[in-house]
Amino acid sequence: MFRHILYKLLRWIPSVLVVILVVYALLFFGAGDPIRLMFLRMPGDVAWNPERIAAMRHELGLDRTFLAQFTEYIWNLLHGNLGNSLLYQRSVNDMVKVAAPVSIQLALAAMVIMAILGIPLGVVAAVYKNSWVDHLIEGTALAFWAIPTYVAGPLLVIFLVRGLKLMSVPYGWEGLFSPKAIIPLIVLSLRPIAIIIRQSRSAVLEVMGEDYIRTARAKGISNYLVMSRHILRPVLTPIVTSLGLVIANMIQGNILLEVVFGIPGLGRLVAVSTIDADYPVVLAVVLIGSFLVMGTNLAVDILYPILDPRVRQTQVGGES
Amino acid sequence: MRRIYSVLSVLMVAVFVLSACGTPTAAPVEQPANPAPAATEAPAANAPAPAAAEQVLRIIHPAFDQNWSPMLGGGHVSRLYSLWWAAPMYFDAKGDIHPMVFTEWTPDENFTKWTFKIDPKAVFSDGSPITAEDVKGTWDLSAHPATGHARVDLFLSGVKGFAAVSKGEAKEMTGLVAKDAQTVEVTLGAPDPIFYQKIATNLIAPVKISQAKGEDGEQKLEWWRPENGVVVSGPFMPQSMDLDKGVITFVRNPKWFGPTPKLDKIIVTSVEDSQTAITMLENGEADIHTYIETPTLVKDLGLEFVAGPDMPKAQHFWLNVNAEPTNDINVRKALIMAINGADLIKASHPDGPDKLATMIPNAVPGADDPLYLPYPYDPEGAKAALAASKYGGPDKLPKLMMVGISYPAAEAAAQYIAEQWRQVLGIQTIDMKPQFDDYSGPDKANLQIYRDDVGTRVPDIVSYLQGSIYSTCGNAVNKMGGYKNSEVDSLLDQASVKGVDDPDRIKLAQQADRLFRDDFAFIPWDITPTSAFAMPWVKNAGRNIDWQIVEPWNVSIEK
Repeated sequence: MFRHILYKLLRWIPSVLVVILVVYALLFFGAGDPIRLMFLRMPGDVAWNPERIAAMRHELGLDRTFLAQFTEYIWNLLHGNLGNSLLYQRSVNDMVKVAAPVSIQLALAAMVIMAILGIPLGVVAAVYKNSWVDHLIEGTALAFWAIPTYVAGPLLVIFLVRGLKLMSVPYGWEGLFSPKAIIPLIVLSLRPIAIIIRQSRSAVLEVMGEDYIRTARAKGISNYLVMSRHILRPVLTPIVTSLGLVIANMIQGNILLEVVFGIPGLGRLVAVSTIDADYPVVLAVVLIGSFLVMGTNLAVDILYPILDPRVRQTQVGGES
Repeated sequence: MRRIYSVLSVLMVAVFVLSACGTPTAAPVEQPANPAPAATEAPAANAPAPAAAEQVLRIIHPAFDQNWSPMLGGGHVSRLYSLWWAAPMYFDAKGDIHPMVFTEWTPDENFTKWTFKIDPKAVFSDGSPITAEDVKGTWDLSAHPATGHARVDLFLSGVKGFAAVSKGEAKEMTGLVAKDAQTVEVTLGAPDPIFYQKIATNLIAPVKISQAKGEDGEQKLEWWRPENGVVVSGPFMPQSMDLDKGVITFVRNPKWFGPTPKLDKIIVTSVEDSQTAITMLENGEADIHTYIETPTLVKDLGLEFVAGPDMPKAQHFWLNVNAEPTNDINVRKALIMAINGADLIKASHPDGPDKLATMIPNAVPGADDPLYLPYPYDPEGAKAALAASKYGGPDKLPKLMMVGISYPAAEAAAQYIAEQWRQVLGIQTIDMKPQFDDYSGPDKANLQIYRDDVGTRVPDIVSYLQGSIYSTCGNAVNKMGGYKNSEVDSLLDQASVKGVDDPDRIKLAQQADRLFRDDFAFIPWDITPTSAFAMPWVKNAGRNIDWQIVEPWNVSIEK
């Protein structure tokens, strides 16, 4: 297992370098000059002085070649320095240090909610296949999937705050266990829960048709034990894969959610930086995203043999 | 099954642990190195009677700004400068100038040398006086390219030595001299009778230069944060600044040298989503917005929220005089005369309070020019002009591309314009996008119509037109494709050296404006009011042409 993890890590390094190179090139050649954009987008009374703008770019090192700037970026990266924001002159390390844990907390909490609610609902839908229970669960899941985040968020706020007057506007971040986190968590888990429900349902239906399940039932084992001991374990493998993919996306920042609710996470950070072509911040978020994809893949790889002994035996057989 | 439960339990514990570690705890606010001494003397004669409840103003800020330097010169951050930085002088809502840091300003007979006297009572929040060295140091530093001040050219470009500093070739302007601790002498490269008006702005407020400037001669990183002991000169001072959450708290500056503020505290919260912001204002969870514009703002928050005196600023659609087909004056005539201005403003602002613009200058002396003929709405004349153009009609006209269509009112206006062109002139192919870089390839080099605003920060028609139609201004270069009318430039050059009280100053400027009108290079649109963006219970929150709250010490909450 250790060799497997090490091998994965070594394979990941060149992939990340390619991702950084591609994103850097896209920003450099495609996103535009952040200083020039700053002046172009400002109201019309901002003085347009090409010489001054050139001098500002020179001070920030933006007039150097692509190779010079990229090499310097990689060199700093190897020393753990993500650079300074071009527009805010803040250390990107400091910016990301605060934003990343917020997004991670939210995503993990949403994942727990999705697992706790989604898997049992999917199982119930499968058990009561084609009945009104199944249709109700699937239909509701699809309805949630159809509502985009940028609609669900403001609608919930208007409904709960202005309509029912149950709470004040849940804006800002005071930790995962504050009332302000309730609506963002609901919105964050609403859509992906549909994936988990449907994945669980189809996986359970597939396993329910297996011979060993029929044998277990024939032996007189109760439905509950059949479900919990014989069906759930093989079903969890594909669900864990889906959860891994979903959480990687979530952590990288649900931009709309964080902007609507003022959550100081990675999504909010990258939204502002992308519009302003603030390369170092965008690259830092991309780097974190790459880490997350690798990390979740690794976590899934580690969980598989725990959940499914057949995978463990295959691995052991392969290694021997 | 036990393993599954174990895995889930581990996950939940991980969430709890991360939550405990990751939740930013409120860091204790570090006391500044030289905290302002508590007032121990007897209360001043103008000290307010103790209020029954704390007066706390809650401001919604529309951007997640992470740089609150007083030397930014732009962005939404700059609209709140008057809270914590004292301007050299300031304009009230009527456009009258008042002293603040400077109490006297005297030009020589040629308007090339100006002498400014600092108020001896003007001090920073640590009690240290604001000196001429602070003024000079701030203005020099603002001109450095590394500082990134977006508007310093508007204020100080006339000072001798500015160009060298602006290009990074020098650190100090030769024309800026601290004659003594309270006297600043400014030498200009050319006569400028309104130089004193240009510097009457919070955007170049003097800062304590020993705090702002590093050993390398450049602006220190984040020197303006309270954690770094910043001292300020305005009526309020920052108590805490959580840039990651976007929450900034101000309290009264005990050393403020002006009238005692009525507010006890100001809390600024960054809320980027306008629907959330409106809900908070409607719910009474906030009192003021720094700047907001939505299509239903008047319906949501009332006309009083957005109403205000006209400001010398307006939005127009500018025509690129060097791009096909708008390089043909007959095409431009056709496009302009096909628009009914009254319907245009109704389409974009059905609930008010914006008014239709008919010319460039507004709300400045000289804007009411009886000789100026607004563009007529003349569909037949428009068709005839298009027929007389080199294209002969709409069929051979290249695609028209609009840019700057980036907010709902602009979208409504652009769509009305496009529909008028379709109905009156038969032009079918019109594209519209929010940003310049939303276009790509050859289109980017051939954009014909820009929506953008022009204005002035001083109540002066010459300054207004210099920033709008003078050939080297950003508007002429970027939005009108390099528009240049030598006669217009010459008239404005002549006007600029006339004294403020010289009637020829206005006459020459009006002449230039009429000449520009005959070039048919813009579609007049929208005069913006100087909205306070304040709920009805907020008093005296009016703003000036600099978008600053004019007298933040007078703002109060009356619920």
